[in-house]
Amino acid sequence: MKLNRRAFIKSAAAGSAIVAAGSIFPGISFAGWQQQEGASGQISWQKAPCRFCGTGCGVLVGVSGDRAVAVKGDPNCSVNKGLCCVKGFHSVQALYGKDRIKKAQVRRNGKMVEVPMTEALDLIAAKMKETIEKHGKDSVAMYGSGQWTIPDGYVASKLFKGCIGTNNVEANARLCMASAVTGFMTSFGIDEPMGCYEDIEHADVFVTWGNNMAEMHPVLFSRMLASRKRKKNVTIIDFATRTTRSSQAADKSILFKPSTDLAVANAICYEIIRNDWVNWDFVKKHTTFHKGKTNIGYGTEDHFSFTDVPEDISFEQYKTFLADYTPEKVEKISGVSAKDIKYMASLYGDPTKKVMSFWCMGMNQHVRGTWIQNLVYNIHLLTGKISTPGNSPFSLTGQPSACGTVREVGTLTHALPHGVVMNEHDREMAAKIWDVPVTNIDPKPTYHTVEMFRALDRGDIRFMWIQVTNPMVTMPNLNRYRNGALKDDRFIVVSDVYPTPTTAVADVILPATLWVEQEGMFGNSERRTQHFDRIVPGPGDTMSDTWQIIEVARRLGFQKQFPWGEDEYIGKIWEEYRRFHDSPKHNMASYEMLKERSGVQWPFVNGKETRWRFNTKHDPACKPGTDFDFYGKKDGKAWIWARPYEPAAESPDQEYNFWLNTGRVIEHWHTGSMTRRIPVLHNAMPESYVEINPEDAADLGVVNGEKVKIISRRGSVTMKASINGRGVPPRGMVFVPFFDESYLINEVTLDAFCPISKQPDYKKCAVRLEKV
Amino acid sequence: MALPAKGAPDIAQGFDSGGEKIFNRFNETPLAATTGTDGTRTLNTYYELRQYPGSPPRVPHDVPDSFSGDTLKCLSCHGRGGYDVTLDAYAPVTPHHEYENCFQCHVPRRTEKLFVETDWQSINPPLLGRSEMGGSPPPIPHTLQLREDCIACHTGNAAVAEIRVEHASRGNCRQCHVPMIATEPRKEFTRNK
Repeated sequence: MKLNRRAFIKSAAAGSAIVAAGSIFPGISFAGWQQQEGASGQISWQKAPCRFCGTGCGVLVGVSGDRAVAVKGDPNCSVNKGLCCVKGFHSVQALYGKDRIKKAQVRRNGKMVEVPMTEALDLIAAKMKETIEKHGKDSVAMYGSGQWTIPDGYVASKLFKGCIGTNNVEANARLCMASAVTGFMTSFGIDEPMGCYEDIEHADVFVTWGNNMAEMHPVLFSRMLASRKRKKNVTIIDFATRTTRSSQAADKSILFKPSTDLAVANAICYEIIRNDWVNWDFVKKHTTFHKGKTNIGYGTEDHFSFTDVPEDISFEQYKTFLADYTPEKVEKISGVSAKDIKYMASLYGDPTKKVMSFWCMGMNQHVRGTWIQNLVYNIHLLTGKISTPGNSPFSLTGQPSACGTVREVGTLTHALPHGVVMNEHDREMAAKIWDVPVTNIDPKPTYHTVEMFRALDRGDIRFMWIQVTNPMVTMPNLNRYRNGALKDDRFIVVSDVYPTPTTAVADVILPATLWVEQEGMFGNSERRTQHFDRIVPGPGDTMSDTWQIIEVARRLGFQKQFPWGEDEYIGKIWEEYRRFHDSPKHNMASYEMLKERSGVQWPFVNGKETRWRFNTKHDPACKPGTDFDFYGKKDGKAWIWARPYEPAAESPDQEYNFWLNTGRVIEHWHTGSMTRRIPVLHNAMPESYVEINPEDAADLGVVNGEKVKIISRRGSVTMKASINGRGVPPRGMVFVPFFDESYLINEVTLDAFCPISKQPDYKKCAVRLEKV
Repeated sequence: MALPAKGAPDIAQGFDSGGEKIFNRFNETPLAATTGTDGTRTLNTYYELRQYPGSPPRVPHDVPDSFSGDTLKCLSCHGRGGYDVTLDAYAPVTPHHEYENCFQCHVPRRTEKLFVETDWQSINPPLLGRSEMGGSPPPIPHTLQLREDCIACHTGNAAVAEIRVEHASRGNCRQCHVPMIATEPRKEFTRNK
């Protein structure tokens, strides 16, 4: 039936000028959603950062009654200026899955039984005491998350490092951001990007290093596309190991063989020097040259340890080192043509072009993750394209508060809210602010994440509390760590919002509030701290992760350190935490200001955000009278590193002849425990798959949708083949998204890591394929 | 294809809720295309694709697996609209053609099943035809964010029947229609004393 409006109005008994859309077709309800009963039909909007990735989009959550019912992009937030992605637009639906954990559960005779919250908290405190008495303080551990709010991570660190006195605090950001941190620390001596998202509007060239931004950071990718459309002369280079949506949108796609980005980055520097595109004024004033150890290993064995020993070198020595990386030589290693290498070098080298490099997991989840960050910084330092609008090496984050909570609060074994446990002054500062004896804080780091789960398997750790993360999907070489967690005499506490493979190994499950059901702060990729209020109540007995820790801390006798009331604790914690960062290098905004604004960037000095650090025009921490001041390093310089190409820990061979690469898709975020409960997202991407190159698929005799078994030395998984689907790997590589708990690809991956950052490499191991 | 930006040269862009878009669209769209009434879309089918008033709609038709970031493919139909033979339908026109990463917000449906059941609820869609006086022009019931281009959605064959205007030959929509967001509390004028 063709309808026009006149015919339509005639057919719909329109007695009144006011016609509710829902009553236009009596008896038919709109299928898109269930309508809230008794609602006023009106929404009030409150600001929050998005719950998902590290971009930190501002969203406005629409509330009707006590429910979140809608989302729009926050036009006042400079990150996204009113735009979201499909996850953000549907984010509030993550609160309402029917299987939400609403009651505490404890394991009794192998079965989980619902108990009152107080009973579960008593049990946790008793178990912690008992374990510490029997096995020592380093037998209890906290494994947290880049999705922890800043107060969550802060109280965890205060309880474990300050009160109990163990450095057994780690977070899943070790799997996600550790190489970014060690990259910043080795090159600049201070963590987090010097630039900001505003660089996108200033840049002429974008190079994305192993980074499918169209799916993983879509809002920033759109910002890049919008800038290209407006300015006309913008170039986007997708430099990657696999062809993706980002390749389709780019001006040029350049594929390299896994791990050879190291060689290509060196070749780019070789070309920059050969063509004398070096910004000598900048290099002489602001950089020094260094080298470290080589053949540094892969960490696949227990108790692996590595400490780099930096040595000063001269520019001439650096130039000699680069002689091994001529474009012609590197073409043979990397599969990237010398012509393409020279082209990339010419874009970086052209003094009239402003260049932004973007990266995320491709460079972070890399057994030479720290090195590749150093090498990309080298390019920007040699050309002086750094810390100025549009010239910006930019490390993106994958979680909403990997920066805010893990990197800034320091919820890693070696770190403190300011500085590191090894440093006496940093320990003294922490002890003073925390009101604990300085002797409480152990000067020796214990376990990084992989080693922490190995310690759990070995029995060195007996008690682990896991909050806001799902390691029984995300740990590489998963079989070992799941078996370890299930061993007798291991006690696992999991705080979460939905049942997951991690709650399946728990002895106690605590029901947690999710996102805007609690007050908190996140910190995004561009040093922006974002506050959100408790906008809707959490269901059942749910409790914020911060408050769970406070309750247990009090049961352990630390009332003095955790004195706050339930109506004020977030503000009080923030103001206590902020004392750690009281300097022009890291000053943070007050609680009141955070509540008011859609995010505030640090360093926040004299009422002003610092958009470009190390640049005297923009950064009040710089020494006056100079143009740049890389104050993170004692010598005031940025460090250029000679770092060689070294191969992956496990490369394809005769028996295991394919690379396995893993990652994400736009619809799902991490292990899908939230996004799979959002109808639109699950409907669009119901299950994981293995991407195979069409020619490899033909050799295997596999057509689209047929099952393929992926086998490594550690495990296997059988799943459907995707040929010419979302992405296309080159010949000899397969790609699997890791969001689907029914296909645990991490049983196949390898627990090798970067020896400097201890971050595992999820992008490179060897597998073979069998048609099923 | 997306519309070219056409406003007077060298003026600022993006102010007045992207008001320029209305004039560009009006200029670019043949009268016949704005006045067509052959489409079959109704508010019912419109809301079936949404999760709450204002959410980005799903893609209701098949798209091949390999269909990915090539935005020309989406915008070739949804940039300016027109009749599509394979679907026997008029393509709805996007009100925000300047965004080209379409799959960032719009995804198809590959299964009807849910991972787990949901308790999701939202409010009723806004009321229609809320003229303040008999015959006065109704206010705009939704926010203009991402929906600034009135002509894209409210005119032509692909417009939803209930919200299609009958005076598409006029190109300055906000001369008569002003935003009064139906889903937000109404702000009454009170005098400061």
